[in-house]
Amino acid sequence: MKSAVTTVISSADAAGRFPTISDIESVKGSFDRANARLEAAEKLAIHIDRFTSEALDYVYGKQSYEQANKDKCSRDIHHYLRLINYCLVTGGTGPLDEWGIAGMREVIRAQQLPTTAYIESFSYIRDNLNIPSDMGQQAGAEFKSLLDYLINALA
Amino acid sequence: MLDAFSRAVVSADSKGAPIGSSDLTALRKYVADANKRIDATLAITQNVSCIAADAISGMVCENTGLTQPGGHCYPTRRMAACLRDGEIILRYVSYALLAGDSSVLDDRCINGLKETYLALGVPLANAVRAIEIMKIATVAIMTETNTGRKMFEGINSGSGAECQDIASEAASYFDRVINALI
Repeated sequence: MKSAVTTVISSADAAGRFPTISDIESVKGSFDRANARLEAAEKLAIHIDRFTSEALDYVYGKQSYEQANKDKCSRDIHHYLRLINYCLVTGGTGPLDEWGIAGMREVIRAQQLPTTAYIESFSYIRDNLNIPSDMGQQAGAEFKSLLDYLINALA
Repeated sequence: MLDAFSRAVVSADSKGAPIGSSDLTALRKYVADANKRIDATLAITQNVSCIAADAISGMVCENTGLTQPGGHCYPTRRMAACLRDGEIILRYVSYALLAGDSSVLDDRCINGLKETYLALGVPLANAVRAIEIMKIATVAIMTETNTGRKMFEGINSGSGAECQDIASEAASYFDRVINALI
């Protein structure tokens, strides 16, 4: 699983060297940002059901998608938010890349899913994130950058 | 390869649940101890040859037959291989310590180590002894309980006494290698 620390260790190991000062500084940099990330992960875990249902109500309220798919869409949004929660914990995009984005295009094409529904949902969550009542400024920035990363991958 | 963070992620994913407050307590401690962990890693990386080469030399001194004709560290080519292996094991311990998780050590160093040594005819008891000496030296340098001068410059000056917990973690990684060999 790719994270800030394992990426550094992998490249040190590939070169057969001990962690250098610059390796250690890059690990330290990820620790310095860790509190914001962990806060975002904690708050996302608390609000994950509400974020999912609010986004879903917004998207399906527009009547442009088949209402029969609402439950499945809810499950998927929840799934992606959970992976974002994991990314916030690891400090890298590993969980989204390995478990969410790899193979996503093939699945979406095979099932003929409307990707715009997902994009609209995540955009809604990003644009309606309430700072500071949902999470703090720094934490919100970390969360939003991962939402953007996922939206770009879906687009 | 996992670190403390991705270990939490893998175990949460098997339950299909997001990581919440209760799981984050241990990770917050890992973050709070980051400077100590970094100092402890520096204690190893600044003393690699001291820890590894001295441990091998110490082990050979206790078993002088090793460098005699017919011994396992004779000729120098085999002694050099021994020195190299000591350094490799120490390197993987330093990775595990930085990651706060033993998976890199398990997957890339310990897995198959005993089988390799048996196949090459490396005496396991001597290998274990060398690792033991590396463990003792590492802990002493990390906690600044070695005799003589201070052996490393950390980010937190004079933090040796604070590295106690991390030093026991480092010792546990050496023990992991030892337990895999016996």
